[in-house]
Amino acid sequence: MGEFKVHRVRFFDYMPSAIRTMAFNSQTERLAVARADGAVEIFNFNDNFFQEKVIPGQDGRATEALCWVGHRLFSAGLNGEITEYDLENLRPQYTVDAYGGPIWTISSNSQGTQLAVGCEDGTVKIFAILEERIQFQRNLNRHKGRIISLCWHPSSAQIAAGMTDMITIFDAETGHATRRLLVDRAMGASKNKEVVVWSVGYLSDHTIISGDSAGKVQIWNGLTGTLVRTYLVTKWDVLVLSVSKDESSVIAGTSEGTVIQFQFISSTVDQHDKEWVRTRTFRNHSHDVSALAHTDTAVVSGGMDTQLVVRPLLDKVEKNTQESALRKIAFPHRSLVGCAKKAGLLLFQFPDHLELWKLGESEGHGKPGDRLPVKRKPEKLIELKRKGEDHICCSALSACGGWLAYSTVSSVRLYRIQYNNTISINKVSKLPKELRSVHQLCFSSDSSKLFASSCQSSVIVVAVSQQECRYLHTLKHKTGSRQPVHLLCASDDGKWLATANTDCEIHIYNLHKMKLHCMVPVYNSCPTTIAIHPVTNNLISVHADQQIFEFSLVQKEYTQWSRRLQTQGLLSLWLERDTPITHITFNPKNPDHIILHDTYMFCIIDQSLPFPELNAVLWNQMILKSLPVSQRIGQSHAFKICKSFQHLMCVSLLEDLSLVVVERPLLDIMSQLPAPVRQKKFAT
Amino acid sequence: MAKKQRGKASSSSKTAGIEKPAESFTLSLESSDDEAPEEVTFEDSKAAALRSMKQALDTARREKQLLKEKRRKRQELFQEQKKRRLLSADVLEEIDSASSKKQKQSEDEGEQEEKPEKEEGDGKKKKKKKRSGKLANARNLKGKYTVTTVKERTLASFQQQVAEEFIRSRLYGPGTCRTTNNEMLSLQNKKGWNKSAAVQFVKKDWASKEKAKAEKLKKRWLHKQQLPSC
Repeated sequence: MGEFKVHRVRFFDYMPSAIRTMAFNSQTERLAVARADGAVEIFNFNDNFFQEKVIPGQDGRATEALCWVGHRLFSAGLNGEITEYDLENLRPQYTVDAYGGPIWTISSNSQGTQLAVGCEDGTVKIFAILEERIQFQRNLNRHKGRIISLCWHPSSAQIAAGMTDMITIFDAETGHATRRLLVDRAMGASKNKEVVVWSVGYLSDHTIISGDSAGKVQIWNGLTGTLVRTYLVTKWDVLVLSVSKDESSVIAGTSEGTVIQFQFISSTVDQHDKEWVRTRTFRNHSHDVSALAHTDTAVVSGGMDTQLVVRPLLDKVEKNTQESALRKIAFPHRSLVGCAKKAGLLLFQFPDHLELWKLGESEGHGKPGDRLPVKRKPEKLIELKRKGEDHICCSALSACGGWLAYSTVSSVRLYRIQYNNTISINKVSKLPKELRSVHQLCFSSDSSKLFASSCQSSVIVVAVSQQECRYLHTLKHKTGSRQPVHLLCASDDGKWLATANTDCEIHIYNLHKMKLHCMVPVYNSCPTTIAIHPVTNNLISVHADQQIFEFSLVQKEYTQWSRRLQTQGLLSLWLERDTPITHITFNPKNPDHIILHDTYMFCIIDQSLPFPELNAVLWNQMILKSLPVSQRIGQSHAFKICKSFQHLMCVSLLEDLSLVVVERPLLDIMSQLPAPVRQKKFAT
Repeated sequence: MAKKQRGKASSSSKTAGIEKPAESFTLSLESSDDEAPEEVTFEDSKAAALRSMKQALDTARREKQLLKEKRRKRQELFQEQKKRRLLSADVLEEIDSASSKKQKQSEDEGEQEEKPEKEEGDGKKKKKKKRSGKLANARNLKGKYTVTTVKERTLASFQQQVAEEFIRSRLYGPGTCRTTNNEMLSLQNKKGWNKSAAVQFVKKDWASKEKAKAEKLKKRWLHKQQLPSC
């Protein structure tokens, strides 16, 4: 198979941002997650929880609440603005200042005609949702104290607003406060501390459910204004509540990291005396849970430990199937590491800066498993801070290491790097005006052209040279899809360019003729990575449901190997992996090899070997090692998987045939998170 | 009196060469003699009582005086410190005059700069204050400075900071019982299936300061151990 010298890179200090809030759209089965740095991510729950879209954040946006209205996504933050996002161009469409100070919460009524926001100055402002914008309608009566949470009644006639020490019920027509529910403070030493109602839910039978900072979940009768039931759930805060669509189940997230479910069930067999009973507790987080979504079949939670956890409810799905497995999404589903194969350089993309590193060198040889002494340590060549408030959306490094480009939602920047005795970096100043809102960047292999994907899945081709940057052509496709392109790759010989968009379409362009060559047949799962083989010019695509396809660009059809793989079928262990493949690379010495990786393993697929039988062992490297060489042929199959390195952010093969493995251990991320609560456990 | 003396002398002579338990025995024997009790005259006892009263009064007076002294000294010390903190009078005068001059200058300049600019009424006051504050601290570069408008978001960002401070103090402020990630992970290590040490010992690059301190202490201890031997 091969022996590789491995550059084991652990100096990528990738730090994900805490999840602040989330909202689930049951019509489109998409989950929108807002992070503390202002970034919004869209996950497709129909497609193996693939992270389809990422809208980069902005300094100072401080998103506190998200809300879906049909297909439109609105967010509100502590900067006092309501933002509507353009999901086709991955940027904020417009922002409206609410003029009420920082906004704590946003919610739309069930008809989708009005939007209510709760502000710092104590007012609830109602906005009318119009075709392309929102318009301020009126304020409800102003109250002393900030409005932390609010919820519409399903009939859109009342709004329950959670504040400090109380919950107020407003009449949405007149704006008057009709009822005031007083929330008790915590017992004991914290009697002097005001209790903050972090979250409220309003059910159609006028029951109000509230979660507050004293750790209580309280059930109120909204018509009479009386307390029905109190549950003291935790010593710390109950930060968030979510009500299921059929209003029979409520989940509450706490600062302890637990998610508690309450269900409206009856204790006896007959259905008459139903009441809210605490049923399940989920302990899937180590830090505070600050965002929850209750879908029909699962509980989705996220918080300060930056991981998104999807816990299917076992009474809604079949047990012991792929559907009922716990899913934890900790790393992004796209590659943040760029590798210049000829120069041995790595580019790390952070939201606010880029880092260019030169890999170290070692000497000598050793047996597999040995650690070679490092002759020259890796060094950071350049740290490039972004200009402006918008975070970096995508970046690219040319294969020779001489060109660097990055883009934000507002601009694209191109830099020329020269490696004489010292490193010098110069910005290319006049860029073509067509390069504006760019989602993906890619350099051609000879570093003469830059490809940038723009709106409506078009690709802009720009020639880069020492003197200038010249616009060449815009490549467009014919399907009329307006979804953004999330994958872009160019072939090594400079003839082909492949793009993939979130409508699961893959288009191939012929660069010599500068026009569309063909489109790969649409598969119903979104591609997570694509690559063009340098020798055979076949397009390899891996999809979110872990299927692998190989398409011949010259013949415009699937290859024999791909058809054989589809008939044979992939092993269930391969299909049940829960992290997507994010990068494909090839071996210059052996054209049969395809190297792929996901977060927990990297795999070399050997196209000359047979596929594993349905009852074969997928991870058979240890078995093969224990057999003598002559017997290995019988047992070996095409998938060679190595799990020694975790958690992988990128695996790439340099020109000198050494493997670069960029790891980011989860422990290193956990050590830099904010403080968790102190739990007294027995015998500690 | 004489008997008293005799009693003392005899006891001392007897106890001179005899062992201790025997000594106590002889003393007890002596005390059980049927001798007449000692006579003490009135005058003697009166004198003793007076003496003791005098002593008590004396000690009380001495204590009072000592306290007074202490208090006086402390007062003096405070006054001296106060004097030391305040600068000398003439320096103060100089500074006063200088600062009033500077303020006048900056106000003039602020007014001059404001006139050509037409901003909204709300932003104006804030901008004026900000600018004059900056110029009071900066050096006076006549004609070589540029004036830029302050970003309009100063008020908004202040409110945002207050809101963020509110969340931070509710979740991480005092009284919220938080611990460190190191402790939480170390507890997981200790309670897990494969029990291992606290994370700061498991990971090489954690808690480097504590490790350096521990190294120093180790060196010092070793040095101490070596000293008596050499």
